[in-house]
Amino acid sequence: MKTPRFMAVLVAMVALAIAGCGSDDSDEGAAPDAEKATQAKASGNVTWCIGKDTTGAFGTVIDNFNKANPNANVKLLELPEDAGEQRRLQVQRLQAKSTECDLLGTDVIWTAEYAAQGWLLDVSDFISQSGDKFIPSTVDTTEFEGKNWAVPFNSNAGFIYYRTDQVDQAPDNWEDLYKEAEENDGVVYQGFRYEGLTVNFLELVYSAGGSVLSEDGKEATADSQEVKDALTFMADGVKNGAAPKAVTTYKEEESRRAFESGNATFMRNWPYAYALGKDSKIADNFDIATFPGFAGNEGAGVLGGYNLAISAYSKNPEGSLAFAEFATDPEQQKLMATEASLPPTVTETYDDPAVKKAMPFAEELRSAIEQAQPRPVSPVYPQISEAIFNNVYAALQGEMSSDEAASKMNEEIQKALETF
Amino acid sequence: MEAATAKLGRGRKKRGKTYGSEERRLAALLLTPAMAVIALVAAYPIGYAIWLSLTEYSVRVPGKWRFAGFDNYTEAFGSSEFWDAVKNTFVFTGISVTLELAIGLGMAIAMHEAFKGRGLLRTVVLVPWAVLTVVSAITWRTLFEPNLGLAPQILEAIGIGGDIVWLGQEGYAMAVMILADVWKTAPFMALLLLAGLQVIPDDVYDAAKVDGATTWQRFRRITIPLLMPAILVALIFRTLDALRIFDLPYVLTGGSNGTTTLSLIAHQELTANRLIGYGSALSVLTFIIVMAVSFIYIRTVGGNIRSLAEEG
Amino acid sequence: MEASGGVVTPGTGVREGEKEREEARAVARRGPRRNWVRPLFMWIAVVFICVFCLFPFYWLINVSLKTGSDLASSDIFPPNPTLDNYSSIFKNDNFTAALKNSVIITTVTTILALIVGAFAAYALARLRFRRKFLLLAIILSISTFPAIAIAAPIFKLWTDIGIYDTRIGLIIPYLTFALPLAIYILTSFFKEIPKELEEAALVDGATYFQAFRKVVLPLAAPGLVTAGLLTAFFVWNEFLLAVTLTSSPDAFTVPVSVANFTGSQKFEVPLGTISAASVVITIPLVLLVIIFQKRIVAGMTAGAVKG
Repeated sequence: MKTPRFMAVLVAMVALAIAGCGSDDSDEGAAPDAEKATQAKASGNVTWCIGKDTTGAFGTVIDNFNKANPNANVKLLELPEDAGEQRRLQVQRLQAKSTECDLLGTDVIWTAEYAAQGWLLDVSDFISQSGDKFIPSTVDTTEFEGKNWAVPFNSNAGFIYYRTDQVDQAPDNWEDLYKEAEENDGVVYQGFRYEGLTVNFLELVYSAGGSVLSEDGKEATADSQEVKDALTFMADGVKNGAAPKAVTTYKEEESRRAFESGNATFMRNWPYAYALGKDSKIADNFDIATFPGFAGNEGAGVLGGYNLAISAYSKNPEGSLAFAEFATDPEQQKLMATEASLPPTVTETYDDPAVKKAMPFAEELRSAIEQAQPRPVSPVYPQISEAIFNNVYAALQGEMSSDEAASKMNEEIQKALETF
Repeated sequence: MEAATAKLGRGRKKRGKTYGSEERRLAALLLTPAMAVIALVAAYPIGYAIWLSLTEYSVRVPGKWRFAGFDNYTEAFGSSEFWDAVKNTFVFTGISVTLELAIGLGMAIAMHEAFKGRGLLRTVVLVPWAVLTVVSAITWRTLFEPNLGLAPQILEAIGIGGDIVWLGQEGYAMAVMILADVWKTAPFMALLLLAGLQVIPDDVYDAAKVDGATTWQRFRRITIPLLMPAILVALIFRTLDALRIFDLPYVLTGGSNGTTTLSLIAHQELTANRLIGYGSALSVLTFIIVMAVSFIYIRTVGGNIRSLAEEG
Repeated sequence: MEASGGVVTPGTGVREGEKEREEARAVARRGPRRNWVRPLFMWIAVVFICVFCLFPFYWLINVSLKTGSDLASSDIFPPNPTLDNYSSIFKNDNFTAALKNSVIITTVTTILALIVGAFAAYALARLRFRRKFLLLAIILSISTFPAIAIAAPIFKLWTDIGIYDTRIGLIIPYLTFALPLAIYILTSFFKEIPKELEEAALVDGATYFQAFRKVVLPLAAPGLVTAGLLTAFFVWNEFLLAVTLTSSPDAFTVPVSVANFTGSQKFEVPLGTISAASVVITIPLVLLVIIFQKRIVAGMTAGAVKG
């Protein structure tokens, strides 16, 4: 007589849970009917959620905007420096339909995922009105299913930094670079088990002419010779000491610190490290060079950078769009280039003399960006990237042979594509 | 539930005792708030988690879901990441609890003997416990950071590999994690065991000495058996905590290099990969494993609880 | 409450006032010969324990006093000690907001846990009703739940009813996890109080509730302090639920803030500021521990010694 009562309560709770589940889904419609953000009006509060403002440049842009628009108040909400953490925190808020973030600083690789979930507002009208202000490849990173979901904010393509007091110039191919690294203090890059490793890896693969995902995004193509060659090359580099073993714990900041403290001859990193390097103890002893090639081909860059996307739950989409417009104004883009080495997405900025002075490699940077390739575009990109960086990491640690790593990577990418 | 049955059984006899209705009503009144909170926050979510584990939510299309039966569980059992997490969790638990027990016992004995320093020691020993888990993880991560950390330098000085990238290599990262946990909890164990030591009457030792027992024999045949209840309690608390560990690997290594534990992998699947169904299945599996161990607890140390539940 | 030989502190099993007798016994235990060996080993052990326990905390303080390029070295003493890190963290709105949230959430949860727990503990300790053991077992088993198991469902639930990223959204689950421990400790303490005292009050015509309020509660004060301290420690420390259920300064707590510290300096990994923040949030706990160490130990060992 007593136990059935307990059971009844338990069953009731489970039933409640199921019922709760059912009504949950009828509230969530499918994504595609997303709202558009067309009006830009500089008023109200805007919270801008973006990764750490390492140089203070974001703060300056915000100040400029607030001063020029007394009716508006933009506030910076800094997320951790790690892109993976930024995404996790943005996704957490978006899943909770939080109204806290109006404008999101989204890594170029999150566009497809966020748009597919209906978390972003359609800004296609704004983009088409901008004509050819932006570098086309950067606009590509804002596209998903034929619409634009973000405004290109800054771009990125990798470079090689090298110590001028140890080598005369950076070699034009990776094979020679590793050889010279072995003879000197080594090469550092982003070898930790995260997105950065995917980038480093794809730079080699793309240069060799390979790919991991088919053009239409439906099939994995990672079980290829180019991929295996890249894996072998990277793994051997660690094994032979061209790259220190610690490289597998490095993200951007760690590799930059290793290079700046004089512990490496070469470094692969984004342009941002240039300005910071000029403030460090090796300020006079380093320079920057364009990407070396691999397997006899030209160097290939992987497009990085951040876009500005408006949250579908924002209470102030007009203000957010107004700020996005302001931040992609040539003046502000110039400011970020000169103060933070953040590559502009606006084509004409690269011609500005002040920009060329702060970034002597401005010309190369623009062409690098124009020619860089995006990472695989897919709503399940996070899983694809995980498949890549997990297996590359295993190969670097010597836990798997290149063949095994390539085929496991392929398998996992294929599985990710079939995600429900 | 208890209140309801109490009302039903008004005045009925059980084992020859009668329960006054005022008492029962009062008991119901006093217990309801606690049970209500527990039902809301523990029972309902567990039920919901079990339900979620039987579904699959689409990662591509928001809102789309399907009933997946045991597919998530099958996937977990077939996934090498899951079994790695199980292995890591149990290895971590086994080694850290053993070390904490041994070191804690040593500390307890030292504290028991060292009469002059006892007050100081008791305070000093609680400092690691007072440090936030997150802070402790950050501290140890800083101490072992390649290029900047003090620990690799010290270890190199005493001859342990200058080549090792501590947090960057499998096995070594786990060693650091165990070290961090032992640092934080061995003192806690020491206090639990010290309390147990202090209750052992000296006469027992004196009698044994008169009979010619050596220090070791006294330790083995008197100290350990009489300390057993305290050891068991300490053991169970620590084991359950170690099985559930999350803060430490999350902050220390993010789960790489063989430090992913059950809680961590469930969290990653839920948040990073947004696989609600699969992540819930992993959470439920974690729950089952921990509850199984705690069930063993209730069995062995149940006498403790029984005494609390007994009359008067 | 006076038994012969001094006042008993529940759980520690030590009678105060017997210290001198125990010390004499300890000396006798050591024996007449070679009585410098054992003390020597003991002192070595004491020193080792102190270094082992205190060094990492010292290291934290050390790093917190360094800035700029000093951080890149691993000096044991800060070459240019400065309090810059400390002043900058208090200027960091996120950190001060997290401090405020943690204080509020901890205080409210502790008070609620003590009230609700005391009621439940009294019922369990004194009143008679069926299947007490089952109830106690269920309550205790809650404290063994892995937080991850309920994190996602509560996230979904809280999102739907709108208390995601609020303080109350954390207080409720914290209360659930704190109650078992509080109930367990308080039940042990209540049981130590002789029933005769209440029965005398009941005979004089008081209701159960009055007996509870006027007789039991005051005597159980030490137990309440212990339960309160341990609850407060747990809540202050909790990370997984805090990270899952909050995202903004509206509600996130200190552990979340420290783990996500972006620092208020413009530079790299803000090790200096993270360490300063860590020291700031740990010092109050250390002080509490120093003041209340007897109570804390009593709480931890409640039941352990009885076995």
